[in-house]
Amino acid sequence: MKIAVCIKRTPDSESRFRIAASGAAIDDTGLKFDIDDFAGYAVEAALQINEKAGGGESVVIAIGPDSVQESLRKAMSMGVDRAVHLKADAVPADGIAIAKALAAELQSGGFDLVLFGKHSFDSSSAVVGTATAELLGVPCVTAASELSVTGGTGVARRELEGAAELVSFPLPAVVTIDEGVARPRYPSLKGIMAAKKKPLETKPAQLGAARVTVQKAQLPPERPAGRIIGEGVAAVPELVRLLQTEAKVL
Amino acid sequence: MTAGNVVFLFVLVAATGFFALNVQRLVRYLRLGYSEDRTDHPLTRIRNVLEIGIAQKKIFRDPIAGPMHALIFWGFMVLTAGTIEIVMAGVIPEFSFELILPRAVYLVYSASQDIFAALVIAAVAVALYRRLVLHPRRLEGDDLEHTDAIIILSMIAGLMVTLLLTNGFLLAADPSAFGGEKLISRMIGRAITQTMSPRSALLRYHIFWWTHALLILAFLNYLPYSKHLHVVTSLINVYFANTSGPGTRGAMRPMDLEADVEQFGASDVEHLSWKNLLDGYSCTECGRCTAACPANITGKPLSPRKIVVNTRQRLMEKAPAVTGDRMDFMRSALLHGGDDDSYASIGGDVAEHQLLGAYITDEELWACTSCRACVVECPVSIDQLDVINQLRRNLVLTESRFPSEMQPVFESLERNASPWAFDAGDRGRWAEGLRIPTMSEMAERGERPDLLFWVGCMGSFDDRAKKITVAFARIMQACGIRFAILGQEESCHGDPARRMGNEYLYQMLAKNAIETLDRYEVSTIVTHCPHCFHQIGNEFPQLGGNYEVVHHSTFIERLLEDGSIPLATAEGKRLTMAYHDSCYLGRYNDVYDAPRETLKRALPVVTLVEPPRTKDRGLCCGAGGGRMFMEERTGKRINVERTEELLATGADAIAVACPFCMTMISDGVKAAGSDVPVLDIAEVVASSLAVVSNGVHA
Ligand code: SF4
Ligand code: SF4
Repeated sequence: MKIAVCIKRTPDSESRFRIAASGAAIDDTGLKFDIDDFAGYAVEAALQINEKAGGGESVVIAIGPDSVQESLRKAMSMGVDRAVHLKADAVPADGIAIAKALAAELQSGGFDLVLFGKHSFDSSSAVVGTATAELLGVPCVTAASELSVTGGTGVARRELEGAAELVSFPLPAVVTIDEGVARPRYPSLKGIMAAKKKPLETKPAQLGAARVTVQKAQLPPERPAGRIIGEGVAAVPELVRLLQTEAKVL
Repeated sequence: MTAGNVVFLFVLVAATGFFALNVQRLVRYLRLGYSEDRTDHPLTRIRNVLEIGIAQKKIFRDPIAGPMHALIFWGFMVLTAGTIEIVMAGVIPEFSFELILPRAVYLVYSASQDIFAALVIAAVAVALYRRLVLHPRRLEGDDLEHTDAIIILSMIAGLMVTLLLTNGFLLAADPSAFGGEKLISRMIGRAITQTMSPRSALLRYHIFWWTHALLILAFLNYLPYSKHLHVVTSLINVYFANTSGPGTRGAMRPMDLEADVEQFGASDVEHLSWKNLLDGYSCTECGRCTAACPANITGKPLSPRKIVVNTRQRLMEKAPAVTGDRMDFMRSALLHGGDDDSYASIGGDVAEHQLLGAYITDEELWACTSCRACVVECPVSIDQLDVINQLRRNLVLTESRFPSEMQPVFESLERNASPWAFDAGDRGRWAEGLRIPTMSEMAERGERPDLLFWVGCMGSFDDRAKKITVAFARIMQACGIRFAILGQEESCHGDPARRMGNEYLYQMLAKNAIETLDRYEVSTIVTHCPHCFHQIGNEFPQLGGNYEVVHHSTFIERLLEDGSIPLATAEGKRLTMAYHDSCYLGRYNDVYDAPRETLKRALPVVTLVEPPRTKDRGLCCGAGGGRMFMEERTGKRINVERTEELLATGADAIAVACPFCMTMISDGVKAAGSDVPVLDIAEVVASSLAVVSNGVHA
């Protein structure tokens, strides 16, 4: 099966973020970037589907400056066969603009399956996958926690609030992946060495016009420090009182 | 030459020829391993052979088996001279050392043969009693080894008995054959005289002489097929052991990651070094290593002895197929007949399976805490840990197969240069308000500190360990030492990654750390973490980082010794303290006294108590080798086992000198439901600091 995985490069979630001088973005200096967590699950899902089928091809695609090549290599060191770098100075905030560039690339690729992370850690808009499906005119399944393919049909499991559903769909299709599909594998050194020799193609990204822009970025307010109200049974009445009056959870 | 001489010469040539072929075979097998140079530091190597080999220093660590083995060994050395005489007499009629040695020397020699033969018989009796009646746990292996041991012990006993009887019958036939020096043979001779004529005695002398001589040759040729091959290889093994040279002790093998290979680390015998394979030949299966192994003691499937024995078994299985060798037939005939055939139980095809998988499981490898107890214990200087480490490298680098808890550690090391997912920017937070300069601040002012305080990831991020960090910083401040920290420029040196087999990640981290250190032209480093101490001091030189690294135990001890630390006058009640040895400080670096001295000097009214397993026999806390980051699912928890020992000393407090030990022992104390405090030696010293007039420490 021919599978494309579109990945995004996002900063480590444990980082201490600062707002950049522009006031409309986070400051990149000192941040460590890697494949976004959900996109990592998507790469793993692609690899497993082809491993199970005993063949096929997987391609990883990313938009952005040259630094995204590091993430593309990483996906290849996990086992993806080749990579496409759609070059752009920055990743726009408008998901539709990104989807247009991806659809332009995917259109003629003959892919059976196109995978995305269900959303990215940094922008959380969950637009690009669905918009790409629309532009390609193929079915779209979002937030799949399990995914399998038999013949020309895909089956995905979606976790819902308090329930789950199984959906089936014809290929080709776009699926956005939730965590739950096996944890992304750790690349072996053998894989890292092999990735150095795998093809990485670079071409300009045909981004659509960005109609959405970020005006202002803000850090969440500092969480007030925890309070110790006492120890043992004696503290229970006070705790209950505070939970009722201050936290209003009881 | 008599007809007898001719026959003997023929047998002798055949037997030594067969032995030589076997030696050649075994050497050929060794060549399956990769080559490595083990000829550096020849003087240290010779000293090792004399101390560990000839003087049996490590053998004596066992109070019962030690003297017994030493007796057999020294008996063998002495009796080898006699063997040479007997063999020569077999070829040259009437030959005796009497003809070529000065009288006095000859008498001593002649008497020694008699005495040692008797002593060896006694030692063999003890050994057989232990094996057949007492069954000490550490000697328990499979039935195969057991049979082998009994065969060998019987052969040795047979050699001694026939030697004494040969001389006895000779004396019965001709009382002038020897002088009075052969006391025991004389007694036997006299007893024989009373039962038979000199003629019959002479006939029996010939029978026993031949039996003895043939037994020698049979023994010689049995060795290559037995675990008692160690008789031949152990001295050689001790010579080539990796204990020589400063900084190489305990350091993991360098590894070339640029090499264009498919295989990283080892999964089969040909990925090991010839020395690892020689280790296999030399293992006596004594089980000393396994008896000291914290993983094994607490019920994990790991046994360092098994690792070594498996290496040999796999070599013996694979090498004949690879080298097209036919000399191995006797081994299977002798040792592997019957139902207990360990090869048959493994099953599968020689070519199909590997050392990893068919013999050694992943679970065994991940159970190792890299504590080095096995290496220190082994009487023939085998490096079990080296094999474990190479197999781990294969698991991570080639196969990417490891316990799932390790992945977040690797990822965090990659992203945050710390095994825990903390932001690097927070590294220096513990120092806020303590007026400790960072290297970059000092560099900006055009200054340089006298030394760098390397804090380590535990010391920077772990809440309990941060207290140790602060305590140590306060001590240095109280002494007016000009030190600095790297602050957020510090990054993990990669030791956890290296011990977990991820050499690729390790080298990335280590090179990065070296770059930072070199940028500030750091030459002297002090740290309170034994892992940082060992890694930066002993393993960074492999990557071109050369620094003088001092552990805080040694550092504080020196300060206390020259009276630089302003201590409050001792008062209060007498404290009893138990010190727990860190593996990376002790067995890796021989630092045993400094932390103890520190405690004694800081608390003049302290009594130090030792748990039964202490110093180079101390039991690991369970955190090393990346175990800190893995679940401990099988058997008893190592930290609980260790803490129970420490608590059993009745100490009022437990002292440690490692932040990892701190976590493990503190958890152990909690698990035991005890409230005995666990303190780092720096905290003990800091709590006795004198407060000077202006309210702050000088
Ligand atoms: S290093 Fe320690 S844990 Fe590992 S095998 Fe040796 S004794 Fe056991
Ligand atoms: S490796 Fe050393 S200590 Fe362990 S069983 Fe073999 S000889 Fe004994």
